[in-house]
Amino acid sequence: MRKRAVIKKIIIKNYRIFQDFELAFNEKLNILVGDNDIGKSTVVEAINLALTSRLNGKFLAQELTPYLFNALTTSDYVSKLASDPKTTPPEIIIEVYLEDQPGSEILCGSNSLDGTESYGVRLRIALDPDFAEEYSEFISDPTQVSLVPTEYYKVEWLGFSGNGISYRSIPATASLIDATTIRLQSGADFYLQGIIGEHLTKKERVELSRSYRSLREKFSDNESVKTVNTKLSGTKGDVSNKTLSLSIDISQRYTWESSLAAHLDDLPFQFIGKGEQNTLKILLALNRKIDDTHIVLIEEPENHLSFSSLNILVSKIAEKCKDKQVIVTTHNSYVLNKLGLENLILLNDSGGVGIRDLPDTTQDYFKKLSGYDTLRLVLAKSAILVEGPSDELIVQRAYMSAHSGKLPIEDGIDVINVRGLAFSRFLDIAKLLKKKTAVVRDNDGKDKARLNKRYEAYTTEDYLTVHFSTDTSLKTLEPQLRSANGRELLNTIFGTTFASDEELDDYMEDNKTTCALALFSTKEQLNMPDYIKNAVQ
Amino acid sequence: MPSSNLVIIAAAGARKTERVVDTALADPTKRTLIVTYTNENQREITARIQRKTGVIPANVEVMGWFAFLINECARPFQRSVFGQPHYLRRLNFIGNKPDYIAKTNPAYFFDRHHDIYRDGVSDFAVLANTNTNASVIRRLERAYDHILIDEVQDLTGFDLDLLDLLLRSQIEITAVGDPRQFMIRTTNATRNRKYCGTGIVDWFKERADICQLEEQCYSYRCRKEICEFADALFPAMPDTESRNNSEDEHVGTFVIGATEVTAYVEKYTPTILTYDKNRDTQGFPGMNIGMAKGSTHDRVLIFPSGTMLAYVKSRDLAKFREPSKLYVAVTRARFSATFVDPST
Repeated sequence: MRKRAVIKKIIIKNYRIFQDFELAFNEKLNILVGDNDIGKSTVVEAINLALTSRLNGKFLAQELTPYLFNALTTSDYVSKLASDPKTTPPEIIIEVYLEDQPGSEILCGSNSLDGTESYGVRLRIALDPDFAEEYSEFISDPTQVSLVPTEYYKVEWLGFSGNGISYRSIPATASLIDATTIRLQSGADFYLQGIIGEHLTKKERVELSRSYRSLREKFSDNESVKTVNTKLSGTKGDVSNKTLSLSIDISQRYTWESSLAAHLDDLPFQFIGKGEQNTLKILLALNRKIDDTHIVLIEEPENHLSFSSLNILVSKIAEKCKDKQVIVTTHNSYVLNKLGLENLILLNDSGGVGIRDLPDTTQDYFKKLSGYDTLRLVLAKSAILVEGPSDELIVQRAYMSAHSGKLPIEDGIDVINVRGLAFSRFLDIAKLLKKKTAVVRDNDGKDKARLNKRYEAYTTEDYLTVHFSTDTSLKTLEPQLRSANGRELLNTIFGTTFASDEELDDYMEDNKTTCALALFSTKEQLNMPDYIKNAVQ
Repeated sequence: MPSSNLVIIAAAGARKTERVVDTALADPTKRTLIVTYTNENQREITARIQRKTGVIPANVEVMGWFAFLINECARPFQRSVFGQPHYLRRLNFIGNKPDYIAKTNPAYFFDRHHDIYRDGVSDFAVLANTNTNASVIRRLERAYDHILIDEVQDLTGFDLDLLDLLLRSQIEITAVGDPRQFMIRTTNATRNRKYCGTGIVDWFKERADICQLEEQCYSYRCRKEICEFADALFPAMPDTESRNNSEDEHVGTFVIGATEVTAYVEKYTPTILTYDKNRDTQGFPGMNIGMAKGSTHDRVLIFPSGTMLAYVKSRDLAKFREPSKLYVAVTRARFSATFVDPST
């Protein structure tokens, strides 16, 4: 029995969006998050590529295109080539480092970028020395070169021993589950096929091929087919002297994989809702029991799923993956919270940041209250945390006044309403990600010392600030606004005629959001309380 | 506890290769590697395993000595020698290592294509092992439970240093060979020179603590007459007892004239061996003696070199430089080995 396969690390050079990228993985669950186009899918694709040397199900060697190369790398090469014909043609390297796999010694050595003794796989796309002459010819006129000439390139697939490997040499296998359904001509889903194929034992697969072949043979014995063929052979001589007949192609090219369709409750797979297709594919991959050498790669499980289906699916993923390494990409806070924030890896263009050290209580908290927008905090450049919808509107307005009419989001600053949750839960995350975050809160009548003490674990970091008013007579936002702007102005904005501050305060308390909306959209000059001004600076 | 490493020194026809194959197939739970020096023998071993089991079992691998040195010993930790990964390309089998280049210079080991000279491979492998504090050997220990080395007499120079490391490793080593069948190769290596050829027996004797030496002085193949002729070539080695007692009408060693060849071939259909491709075999297809190593035939007809023929006539070892080739040639035969004298 082979050891459980675990990917420790991936290094990517010049592949697609990544010019120089390195990312370490958790032993079990990994949730990759990041902005669109940051390369979440590329990481998953690169892992799959290194472990199988296949891209989109085909051998990489046949799929080489200049567009696999990083755009910056390409333009760099093209511009350098213009002045120096000896410019080294770029190469793509993907290295996947595995946990020690004694017995798979073809993977062991120090022929890796890392240089230490380790087990792993290296995929390299580089100029084929056999084409050196043709290449020199090609670049002799650099103005013709606008892309990497991959037609002169070859694919090298090695273990870290430096020796060539085959699919069989790798103890780790990976299932890539992608929500976007890619179909073959026959209508069967490529990924589904792969998963079913992997799900079956070798013997079962052989049995399946055999029965499929006998089914095809029976076709030509069928009476009506015979009649047709007799008729066809009668036309001999019209175009050719050979006998024409109809039969099913039983050559190797058409195997059961491309012809058999999966059915769910007698419905062909492609007629099932997309959401259910997706669920089914994920569950099939997770159920694979053949061995533990399996790594599951899941792309955006939330796609096409309703909230309740997502809930079931995510619980299944969490339950089934206890002993497998799983790498999930997602855009969904719910998936993230439910699977565990501690498994989050926030991607950037050179690697990723994890928050493995998040306090257990905070992880639990978000697991139970999974609807919260943790992902927004994770993805924002910086964030302002507020207590409720009216605070959110006022902070936005304050920000616009301070920054010549620009909304905070235009500067990458997300104003997040924590909706009654403790700020500290979000600050735990912000602290681990070193994210510039400001908290704007009411003093609720508490004095400065008391409130400062509450956040002292966070405010030692200069990127975390907490803003509140030190005037304990003004406990909440509404009296603060009234105090800063005066009763008269607010009466004008709200279209009210309150004669006392108390009455106005009560009105604002009772109509928080309406008042906040009115203040947010008023053309009058507003004066913001100092603690809010400070927060939006 | 005596060492589990076993070295078998045996005469031609003692079923050495058979022993290697049987040992390899004996325990399917052991990951076993069979290494042998020549491509011909590698093919022979593969074919024998296939004859016995149909396919090569998953736990058994057959590899040439140089493939083993390069892929399993030199390449994985090449970085430790000159700091460069992916440098070593393949074997330069023809070229010779340049003289007067320091060992600290890659050109000592590699030609300009980064192919490694065959004289330098084991040296390089041992160096990589030293530099990595034995990573090379540890990796082999994880990969194999048992390594069998056929034709061990062909290991020379730094090959022996690597063999020494293997004998001291956790891997069980079984080595078989016949020093009389040592094929001289052009080498300018001076290391371990005294252990070349029959000297290898001394090398093993000096390592009695890490390997058991077993000498098998019998031949299942060759008749007594052939054994006696062959033994005379190596007076220092023990005599060989023939275990071939089958009768035949034409037994022993003979010399015939060039004019008698056609009639002889028609009568006895011998396998034809030639000293080199320049011998005139009168149109009969012949095999170089070196290529015939490991094979068995009822009769051989040998087109010898001048010095070989001179020895056959005079039996004077003093002037004879190539006893190994002659030994290999005659011991291919079960019954008769006949030499062609082109002068008559």
